[in-house]
Amino acid sequence: MTECIVIEELTKYYSKFLALDKLSLRVPQKENIGLLGPNGAGKSTTLKILCGLIRPSSGKAYIDGIDVVAQSEKALSKIGAIIETPEFYSYLTPEDNLGYFGRLRGMKGEQLKRRIREVIELVKLEKWGKVKIEKFSRGMKQRLALAQCLLHDPPVLILDEPALGLDPRGVVEFREIIESVGKEKTVFFASHQLVEVAQICSQVAIINNGQLLAYDSITDLEKKYQSLEQAYLTLTGGIS
Amino acid sequence: MSQFAQLGIVIRYEFLKHIRRARLYVILGIALLTELAVLILIPVLRDGYPNNVTVMAVLLTVGPSLAALGAVFFAGDAIAGEFESKTGFLLFINPIKRYILWLGKYLAGFIAVALLILFTYIIIVVSLLVIYQEVPFETLTSFGLCILFASATLSLTFLFSAISKGSMGATVMTLVFVWVISGILESVLGFTGNPYWFMISAGGDSIAMAYGGMESFMEGLGLGRFGAMMEQFQPLKVGEAAWGMTIYLVVGFAASVIIGNRRQLA
Repeated sequence: MTECIVIEELTKYYSKFLALDKLSLRVPQKENIGLLGPNGAGKSTTLKILCGLIRPSSGKAYIDGIDVVAQSEKALSKIGAIIETPEFYSYLTPEDNLGYFGRLRGMKGEQLKRRIREVIELVKLEKWGKVKIEKFSRGMKQRLALAQCLLHDPPVLILDEPALGLDPRGVVEFREIIESVGKEKTVFFASHQLVEVAQICSQVAIINNGQLLAYDSITDLEKKYQSLEQAYLTLTGGIS
Repeated sequence: MSQFAQLGIVIRYEFLKHIRRARLYVILGIALLTELAVLILIPVLRDGYPNNVTVMAVLLTVGPSLAALGAVFFAGDAIAGEFESKTGFLLFINPIKRYILWLGKYLAGFIAVALLILFTYIIIVVSLLVIYQEVPFETLTSFGLCILFASATLSLTFLFSAISKGSMGATVMTLVFVWVISGILESVLGFTGNPYWFMISAGGDSIAMAYGGMESFMEGLGLGRFGAMMEQFQPLKVGEAAWGMTIYLVVGFAASVIIGNRRQLA
């Protein structure tokens, strides 16, 4: 099986704080992998390194065999990402924002316009396409973040708590979208919502203190620990 | 996709942002009101306009000088804002080198401020033509120096934006540096007979000095020559001030690119 995301001995210090401790992980192509761990475990740090937002202190990370540090732009051309709760340029409309990001990725003309319409419809913001984002709620911005993530139809999706701020209907719709598009894409998905992860992902990696504690299929973890929740709590130190 | 094409896209959308924000129109309004105040108050307070067209032209440079300082408001959030407001989580994940982003932002800010300056000079030219039926040739030099001053101020603001955590901090730091610190140092250096062309505030002064030195301006207003305290004062040489601004322009922008490229969005 081809590996789409390869993380090798990734270490990251924030000043003296060790956020990632020689983390190694391999994500197979077209698999949906959940990244679980408590607050401060190193999930966001891992995803930010993959997206070129921060540099590792040591170690390597590759997307489709491309070094994310040495060839950052080439690696970024393969991914669509939602990191934390991103903010859009509030004085522009969703169409403006998506137009900007789409053009930076080489999309243009009618193809870009059509694709912007498609993704805006997909996240159910069609009535808001021409409204300045300063009027948007957090949940609406999160929907738009999903739209920008899918705009250029990337082969790899990197998602950090992507359902944060969505209402219950939004969470369900988001899950359906990711389940649908995830069949043809590699999805690396950090979340605290175990139910959500269990519904979208086939395997999970559980990390804490920057170290990998388990990386297995959800079925196997449930067999071993009775449930995914039990596995999470046991491995991250909640239950002995 | 070529980097040149990406640069064009960044300029286009960054300029669109300037157009959609109120600050462009606020700066334009302030510059226009200032020009209007000069045009109305001078004849009211001093019984008519000065006889010399050059003196009036100097007085009217206050408008473009303010417009040039608008650069601070266009660039204060250029780099810091991407980190502070988290828009960088969307912008930096695109396959584009960061220096292209910074250059595009710089050029978009430059276009916005250059248009403001151009507009204020059009007002100057029209006003002088109406009042005096002539326009001094030095207006063109003054315009060039004003554009250079705006570019240097833009670079300096980019530098403060690259090192600041927040946009407001970058804006305030630049204004304090240009208007207060640089202004005070320029005065101290000037009055003590030392060179001061390298202070950015001297670059701002050169916009008016393009029409001639301070002495000829004061004489034109009928205020006589400098007193004894100004004996050691060396008039600003416009060419030297232009060099000073060029240094701020190049060094400020280069440093902001290096620092901006190294910043991480944690």
